Amino acid sequence: MHLSALLRLVHPKDEHVTTFRQELRSRFATLGLLIIVVLGALFIRLWTVQVIAGERYARMADDNRIREVEIEAPRGRILDRRGRALVTNRPALAVTAQAVVAEDAGMLSRLSTLLDMPVDEIEERLCSSKQAPLEPRVVRLDVPMEIVSYLAEHSPDFPGVRVETIAVREYPFGNLAAHVLGYTGEISEGQLGERDLSGYRLGDVVGKAGAERRFETVLQGRKGHERVEVNASGKVQRHVGRREPIAGRDVVLTLDADIQRVAEEALADAIREAHAQKFRKARAGAIVALDVGTGDVLAMASAPTYDPKLFVGGIGSRDWKRLNEKSSEYPLNNRALMAAYPPASTFKAVTGLAGLEYGVAREWSTYRCGGRWTEMGTEWAKWCWSRGGHGGVTFRRGIEDSCDTVFYKIGYELYKRKKEELQAVARKMGFGRRTGIDLPGEVAGRVPDAAWKKRFNRFFPEYSMWLPGDTVNMAIGQGDMLVTPLQLARGYASIGNGGLMVRPHVLKEVLGEDGEVALRYERQEPGPNGVRAVNLAVMRRALAGVVERGTGRGAFAGFAESVAGKTGTAQVKGKDDYAWFVAFAPVEQPKYAVAVVVEQGGHGGSVAAPAARQVLAKLLGQPVTEIHTTDVSR
Amino acid sequence: MDRSPLMRLLNKVNLPLLLWTVLLVAYGTLMAASATSGMDGGAALVKRHVVGVAIGVGLLCVTWTADYKRLRLWVGPISAAGVLLLVAVFVPGFGASAHGAQSWLRIAGVRLFQPSEPAKLVLIIVFAAAIARREGKMDSRGELLRVLGWVAVPLGLVLLQPDLGTALVFIAITAGMLLVGGAKPRHFAMLGLVGLVAFALVLAPGILPRKFALKPYQRNRLMVFIDPSVDPKGAGYNLNQAKIAIGSGGLFGKGLESGTQSNLNFLPERHTDFIFAVVGEELGFAGAVALLALYLALLITALEISTSSRDYYGALVAAGLMSMWTFQVLVNIGMTLGIMPITGIPLPFMSFGSSFMVTNLAGIGLLLSIWARRYGT
Repeated sequence: MHLSALLRLVHPKDEHVTTFRQELRSRFATLGLLIIVVLGALFIRLWTVQVIAGERYARMADDNRIREVEIEAPRGRILDRRGRALVTNRPALAVTAQAVVAEDAGMLSRLSTLLDMPVDEIEERLCSSKQAPLEPRVVRLDVPMEIVSYLAEHSPDFPGVRVETIAVREYPFGNLAAHVLGYTGEISEGQLGERDLSGYRLGDVVGKAGAERRFETVLQGRKGHERVEVNASGKVQRHVGRREPIAGRDVVLTLDADIQRVAEEALADAIREAHAQKFRKARAGAIVALDVGTGDVLAMASAPTYDPKLFVGGIGSRDWKRLNEKSSEYPLNNRALMAAYPPASTFKAVTGLAGLEYGVAREWSTYRCGGRWTEMGTEWAKWCWSRGGHGGVTFRRGIEDSCDTVFYKIGYELYKRKKEELQAVARKMGFGRRTGIDLPGEVAGRVPDAAWKKRFNRFFPEYSMWLPGDTVNMAIGQGDMLVTPLQLARGYASIGNGGLMVRPHVLKEVLGEDGEVALRYERQEPGPNGVRAVNLAVMRRALAGVVERGTGRGAFAGFAESVAGKTGTAQVKGKDDYAWFVAFAPVEQPKYAVAVVVEQGGHGGSVAAPAARQVLAKLLGQPVTEIHTTDVSR
Repeated sequence: MDRSPLMRLLNKVNLPLLLWTVLLVAYGTLMAASATSGMDGGAALVKRHVVGVAIGVGLLCVTWTADYKRLRLWVGPISAAGVLLLVAVFVPGFGASAHGAQSWLRIAGVRLFQPSEPAKLVLIIVFAAAIARREGKMDSRGELLRVLGWVAVPLGLVLLQPDLGTALVFIAITAGMLLVGGAKPRHFAMLGLVGLVAFALVLAPGILPRKFALKPYQRNRLMVFIDPSVDPKGAGYNLNQAKIAIGSGGLFGKGLESGTQSNLNFLPERHTDFIFAVVGEELGFAGAVALLALYLALLITALEISTSSRDYYGALVAAGLMSMWTFQVLVNIGMTLGIMPITGIPLPFMSFGSSFMVTNLAGIGLLLSIWARRYGT
């Protein structure tokens, strides 16, 4: 051993050895062995811990000290077609609290006093199960500075309560286009399972409705991460690394804020007008304006509406309840595509086209309307809305004056052919199925036929037969026929544009980081609606006549541009009549199609048509004026 | 004897022992400075450490120059003083507690030192005298028990504090000295059996009156040693964090003052009981092995001194010191490596704590004294 050699150098070995040393030699050897065993064991253990398992422990040490903090990515804005921000973001001061704060009654009452909120509302916000259990919840948004400084000074009294700056949605145009834009909120358990939201976590803010929902993945962006080193008490010591968040992309919609505003005002005017005309139950309705060539949705209004600001920072359950009550008429629903109504006389254009296509009617066919129509037998007599009758009417006049008798007749003739050709034409014109618009929640409506009736009434066999009256009712847009305002606008657009079924859409383009267009809406070549051009031309002339001298004349008196349209007054059991007007313009070279419906609004010509006029006026650059007129047709 | 005066002087000084001691104390001071660098009042702690070293060096000079053999003549007063100090901690106004044990001596409100530390040295000096009288023979059980009587009193007093760690050190010292003193294997077997039974009695809750039973935290420490996952946030936390610190040091460590486990406070008691974890984390396997090598050198040198003692008494004192250090190194480092229970036993020359440092340096002085007088004076 080196050591003893070294020792021997300095202290030459004793020659004279005492006896007791010899005696003790074995005992010292044992002691020395013990020392070597102890240190050897420690050495081996050290080797396994530091060299063999070193990397694993190094990772554990890093896990100890490194925390990842998420950095929210700013959500993309939503712009109108001319680049005006309809939805943007703003920083907001929010008082947030951990869920456990709800268990502290004293703290709740202190917060209640400070924030001037009822205790149960605070409790409810803290206990919302919609959020990740450990994430702090927003108790109140946009708190005044004096509350912020009070909380800062008294932070020991409010453990778990913090003031944070969070980015929230802002709506520079207020509730304009609320239904198209939609709203955001914390992701729900249900949404976590949705296909395009895989990878989202509880607590993430996502689009819940409208464009916010539909373009969620584009708007969302990608979260960044900040890696910080913390000490044992969790205090941040320094920043280790950072992955910058990637901002969500701006989405440009086809909407035009100016047209949209006029559409919303027109809808409100129409409801007011309905009230003036003694239809006091009118509260709801919708307006859609399309570009007939491209399917761009230029305006889409739905009444009643709601304020998307309510959802900023999480909606309170009281507000949520109110927005989902029958008595509130469900203001969250976008009636332009989520509601299906009987189209009433607006459907006569479809019936008329079917009649022309299958030779049961021609432009100048003449009919006799005596008010009561008994062709199916006197026990199945049906009345025209004009009880006195229209007398001798041509097909054209039948459209212009909305004569029911003409279309009973056409419907009956089509029924007799037994080929469900009316249904076929209706389907080719886009009814009974979704238009495929890029907004969530669209309904398909319904084109009734024999198979449908059999299925629908399978438990009532006595009602399951398709009867002549079914086709006759359908011919005037009543019975079981249901359409959405969007479908109707698109169907009329196809009459105006020469038979093309455009796909309505609200997405115009997506902007890149540089603000330049990164992605344009990819328009598919529209398919034909299957109606021959000559017949479409006949129908265009007839619809132009509606506005020129028929049921739409009053509403468009003095309008500088030529308009083709059709009034409708739908009968709904137990309700007042629903008012319809659908139009396209200009007649010579149609550019825009507009559909207006006012639930329980009364007559199409006097309630819905003036609203359509306002929207068309704005679209065509005419002065927007509110017209008061009368209409008694259906 | 034709050596020069210088050589004769050198012959009286065990240079290797001095060298190892200086290196160990320097290493300890360096690590103390590194471990406390991020603490509030770290500089004051280092200053206290250095003061402790200074007092220790002073005492070392006394024990070195004095003839160790004279200690045998003073066994009575020395043991009386030791017992007095150990009793004093229980006297209201003189005692103070730390970590749940009544272990500090306090005078006029100032904490002076932990009497259990010098008591280790007292035990060695007194016990060596008791055994040395029997000239290496311990054939009968009665003789053994009579010798053990010298140990029983201080052992009982530290157990009353209760300071389990120091009690275990006392037992280790006793065992090492008995080995050199001539106890037979069957004696050790018998004592081991008694110890096991006592241990079982103490560990099983509810058998002994509460006064003599282990405190819950002590029980917990032993249980945690058996299974660290029982208490990952409490006693197991220390153990886990120490292991993570050492393991993450790897081959060459993270560098002085750069240990994340120690500087970010994940490592508890890092300048005292867990100083070895700081060595392992900041200087890695290389630094830790260097420390083990220093201990090996120190202990082998002490063994050399023990074997070259001119009398039985010196050999026994050296063996006692050796046993003390070996045991403390084993338990302290073993604890941080997860192979020994957490007992709060400090690491010789490395851990913070002036009482312990002074005791160790005085021990070195004794060894030097034994070496210097190996040919007689």
